[in-house]
Amino acid sequence: MIRFLSILFILVSNTIFSILEIEILKGSDNLSKVAFVPFGNESGIEENYGSQISKNIEKNMLLFGEFENLAVNEMLSYPSSENDFYYRDWKVLGVDYSVIGKVNSVNALGNLNISYSLFNINRRIKILEGEIVGSEDNIEDISKIISNRIYEQITGLRGIFDTKLAYVINSDADTYQMCISDIDGKNEQILFTSKAPIMSPDWSPDRKKIAYVSFENGLAEIFIQDLQSGERDSIQALGMTNSAPVWSPDGKSLALVVSFSGNPDIFLYSIRNKRLVRLTNHYGIDTEPSWSPDSKKIIFTSDRSGSPQLYEISTKSKRKKRLTRDGNYNARGRYFPDGKSIFFVHGNNGNFQIAIKKLSSRYIETLTSTSLDESPTISPNGNIIIYATKDGSNGYLGGITLDGKARFSLPVKNGSVREPAWSPLLN
Amino acid sequence: MEPIGIFILAMLCQVYSCAANVSDSVERMQYASVAGEEYLQGDKLETNLDDKVYFDFDKSALDAEDKNLLEQYLPEIKKAKIVRLEGHCDERGTREYNLALGERRALEVRDFLVVKGVSGKKIRVVSFGEEKPLKSASNEKAWAENRRVEISLY
Repeated sequence: MIRFLSILFILVSNTIFSILEIEILKGSDNLSKVAFVPFGNESGIEENYGSQISKNIEKNMLLFGEFENLAVNEMLSYPSSENDFYYRDWKVLGVDYSVIGKVNSVNALGNLNISYSLFNINRRIKILEGEIVGSEDNIEDISKIISNRIYEQITGLRGIFDTKLAYVINSDADTYQMCISDIDGKNEQILFTSKAPIMSPDWSPDRKKIAYVSFENGLAEIFIQDLQSGERDSIQALGMTNSAPVWSPDGKSLALVVSFSGNPDIFLYSIRNKRLVRLTNHYGIDTEPSWSPDSKKIIFTSDRSGSPQLYEISTKSKRKKRLTRDGNYNARGRYFPDGKSIFFVHGNNGNFQIAIKKLSSRYIETLTSTSLDESPTISPNGNIIIYATKDGSNGYLGGITLDGKARFSLPVKNGSVREPAWSPLLN
Repeated sequence: MEPIGIFILAMLCQVYSCAANVSDSVERMQYASVAGEEYLQGDKLETNLDDKVYFDFDKSALDAEDKNLLEQYLPEIKKAKIVRLEGHCDERGTREYNLALGERRALEVRDFLVVKGVSGKKIRVVSFGEEKPLKSASNEKAWAENRRVEISLY
């Protein structure tokens, strides 16, 4: 009976906590205006798939405050092919880019062929043309693929609309949930619910597993959960506290923290043969490891100087280098995807904010202006940082784009959301 | 109607059996071992002394007041079979660093007790970092209360 009740509880909680929705707080400093013309439908197609797809693309492209749109009812024409496209119709409305397209049916199986084009109005040229075939059940995925291509063409950055976010929800004092969702907050899945804290989620490079810390057995313990089967495996590392797991870029090992008799150090853990190799050995606190994109270095936090500062260590030579000297709190560093800069939590006069630093420079730049910011995670294209912050007693996620300084937030309807982890790209 | 209902429930049991097992084990964990040693929560010894010592931000040193409190506590601590020390931090700074800092605070208390003649073998140390605050507000008073080591005797 107890088992039955807990099943019902889980079912109910699935509907209560469904959640994240991005709210734009401030658009980019240099907003481009894009017209998303409703896609046409070949005659004979009963559903208006065309307009569904162009609306999805519009929503994706506006997600992080990087673009502004032209309302459909302000458009002077509704072309769905290049023959009907006139630059002056868009130039006069101050549009920078126009997206048009058309849905054709392929066969009776419900497959659709979607053709689309992107025009640069100021330069008066077509800059992208594409075709994609898919089933009507996959309209959302098709829209994401087209959105990625359009985004890439306009910004020169990889599109990230098919990425995901992992995060921890603390809905009340005794309920912790490990969740993942699409980057727009849709399709939330609860991977694990516990009465004890959950921490430090990190995606495997193939996006099939998540490593995290759970206190379900009374102390910090690292689990790897398979997303497809839901199966969870505990890493039986020795020591009192096992924490802060991060996957190596090749997915074969984790960097993690083991505290033998109370002294936390960084170790490398090989997943296949379960071997633990020590990387740091210092009586101070060494924690929060993260790999450089080329796997050669690991950044970590250490208080060996008397306050938490960032260091990097070569995984081969074990040579160490101190990376930060500004103020008395610089922690939980991560490398940018290009490996040339780092982002981290910077403490300054009692405020804890997200900061970035070029490794070649002495200076740090603070990105956020709230006071309890932590757990920053970066989009795989290196342009957007999402972090956890707090308003009153509720934790929510904040976000910022690095090129245009657009700001957005991802509030949660119930309780607190924390520890965002952006998934890698699916190649 | 009823057979179909039962069938659906059976299906749900299948689908959620993994999750249900998990919540069973969380249930069990409240009475299970911590750090490999068995003790029951029901055996917790009641004392009328304050069972918390407090720390400065990003510090794990015990001040004179803390040491004084622990001294008063010593006779009861020596009588207990198990001494559980739970380290905590305030919400400022990063979560993983705070997990390590909470452990450091609990170890500071352990070391003090060991110097005072308590057997290290019966001391259990655990850190929750900033994950289990006593007060959820974001101000100096709440932070000061959250930077603590809780002592429980069994």
